[in-house]
Amino acid sequence: MKTVSRRDFLLGTTALSGAGLVRAANIKTRAWPLSRDNVQCGIIGYGPQGREITDTLMRVPGAQVAAISDTYAPMLRRAQRDVPDATRHEDYREILDNPDIQAVIIATPTHQHRGIAIDALEAGKNVYCESPMASSIDDAKAIARAARDASSQIFQVGQMYRSNPQHRSVFQFMRSGAIGKPAMARGQWHAKDSWRRASPSAERVQELNWRLDPSVSLGLIGEAALNQMDVAYWVLGELPVSVHGFGQVMLWDDGREVPDTIQAIFEFPSGLHMMFDATLASSYEDSYEVYMGDNSTIVFRDRGKAWMFKEVDSLMLGWEVYARKDRFYKETGIALLANATQLDAQNADPTVDDPNIETPHWYALQEFMDNHAFGPYPPAANWERGLEATAIAVTANEAIIERTHKMIDPQLYTLD
Amino acid sequence: MQTVQLALNAMATRFEILLHGEDPVALRAAGEEALAEVKRLHQRLSFYDPSSTVSHINRMASHSPVQVPPNLFSLFELSQDIYHKTDHAFDITIGPLVKTWGFFGASGQYPTDAAQCEAMEKTGMDKVTLNDQNYTIAFERDGMAIDLGAIGKGYAIEEAARILLECGITSALIHGGTSTMAAIGVPSPEDDGWPIGVVDPQEPTRVLTSIRISNESLSVSAPHGKAFKKDGKLWGHVIDPRLGTPVQGASLSAVSHLSATVADALSTALLAMDRTEIPHIAKKFTGIRILTVYTDQDEQNSVSIGFPSIESNIHSPHENS
Repeated sequence: MKTVSRRDFLLGTTALSGAGLVRAANIKTRAWPLSRDNVQCGIIGYGPQGREITDTLMRVPGAQVAAISDTYAPMLRRAQRDVPDATRHEDYREILDNPDIQAVIIATPTHQHRGIAIDALEAGKNVYCESPMASSIDDAKAIARAARDASSQIFQVGQMYRSNPQHRSVFQFMRSGAIGKPAMARGQWHAKDSWRRASPSAERVQELNWRLDPSVSLGLIGEAALNQMDVAYWVLGELPVSVHGFGQVMLWDDGREVPDTIQAIFEFPSGLHMMFDATLASSYEDSYEVYMGDNSTIVFRDRGKAWMFKEVDSLMLGWEVYARKDRFYKETGIALLANATQLDAQNADPTVDDPNIETPHWYALQEFMDNHAFGPYPPAANWERGLEATAIAVTANEAIIERTHKMIDPQLYTLD
Repeated sequence: MQTVQLALNAMATRFEILLHGEDPVALRAAGEEALAEVKRLHQRLSFYDPSSTVSHINRMASHSPVQVPPNLFSLFELSQDIYHKTDHAFDITIGPLVKTWGFFGASGQYPTDAAQCEAMEKTGMDKVTLNDQNYTIAFERDGMAIDLGAIGKGYAIEEAARILLECGITSALIHGGTSTMAAIGVPSPEDDGWPIGVVDPQEPTRVLTSIRISNESLSVSAPHGKAFKKDGKLWGHVIDPRLGTPVQGASLSAVSHLSATVADALSTALLAMDRTEIPHIAKKFTGIRILTVYTDQDEQNSVSIGFPSIESNIHSPHENS
């Protein structure tokens, strides 16, 4: 199925069909999917992540979950209950062979991304590949090359905060120098969870527990913390040059080798250092990132909410007088909400798009769907971002396992 | 035999799972996946979280039909079915009434007659259109709102129990706030079920009766808890959707059924029913067991269908009526 791309539109090489015009017009008015030609999507991998994506995608205008594949029968039974109208497949290639499917979402274990992503691109599909893009540099480069070469197709990675209006709003705010001279940054991902999965089938147990298999797992830094790290080097505007890692098994002493608790210190070219810690032993304070500067400190938490904590000697910005303030023990945080400077945002019309309403996943998938109508253009989270994130995850995970200091070769960040 | 216990705070209560089996690592993994499902449903079904599916419906469904995930659509169909079978004593469109009575995150207030009338006009599952061709839900009137408070917990427990079964669990009990629970198998081979005590809402240390459940669910509801006093009467947080006022009937109801979703919904609906209605309603649900307790001054009496008889100072309906 051929859609009218923006490039075609600009070059005037494709006769604009009536359907194309209607679709574009409807996006502006945010019509609910009933009135739109829907993009038929295939979900590859129906574990917890695939389910979450499916659930979200069904709420995104323009998307239709048409097919679901998983290698495990109980997951397909779940798919049948969740999306009775979608076809179900044990082999993802059946989805790729279906010419009506325009887009696939890859939510399999990370080490399986390479084969599926390349097959999907070769089959002419638009691809949304969950983060991390790959579990090795080789795989990441192979996927990146395939995505670069398939320039008329969409390839988006699941670094979803890149599409989140709330993150974009705070990103601009940080880039305008709001924290003053940056001093350091810190992030955490904390949960109390064994990270194990159960199944009545022993063979399946092994497959399900790939995150605890040191030969394919990127550990906590890659499989839990990567999207937060992605925000860090995005807002800081520079990629890390080295990483010092530590990893321990502190609680889940069940024979695992993959650490359940890690610390990593990233060094950036400007001299700034960021420390990240993650654990499966404690849920204290959940996850957040903090950016400290001499004017103020900005904290991201709760899927993109942000607060600014000003130093007492920093300049008044004016608008903060009106902003919502939240108390954090002895500190007062000024809420950084997209649209917060518009006082009328308080009484917004319920039908109007509100940047605080949907989840980051929703915005990422919405960007992917909009790209089908207006694109293809490079998504905010394109293959280059996926390659960078994989390089960081792979190197950091090596440093953590070896408990050592590693340089991040700049060549890992780019193709050729 | 090993025992593993896990807990999660969600839906304004504490969920807990108790699992028995051979391999504690696998038991915990299964319990974690089940609780992750509860957490996911909490985010989807929450009335308070603006990014929940329920909030999305409440904002949009009076403007145009809202498409919802098919599994959630099934929950709405089930809610509609129970609405009809209970002669409207169970109604998920109770949002405006709950708001008017001030039970949203607060302890309640007595509304003006005008406010209550207005809320009643926005209440009623008969003003909701469910289209099973494209899984849409639409409200007939502005200001209508769905509140799954009386069914969401049961639904979450049923879905969580389903995941435990998929993971190969053969003996487990999952409960939300000790009021709604589902039992898988038996706690040990010599038992014929998980023993559950139903306590007196006025005297929580006194066990009214106890039953055993296995591969089925139990839900207990009472109007106490969130409540306020006016004119010497206690007005509790469970609202009768047919009258628009807090229920003044049973002081406790317990329902056992195969489905935790049905048990949860019915235990709430029974509080809004006259005791004479109950045998008629019970016939519409296969395999159901019901106990309702009524407190008038110091005297307690009860209606029991399939429940073990309750203790001495409580009289059976035959002796009382």
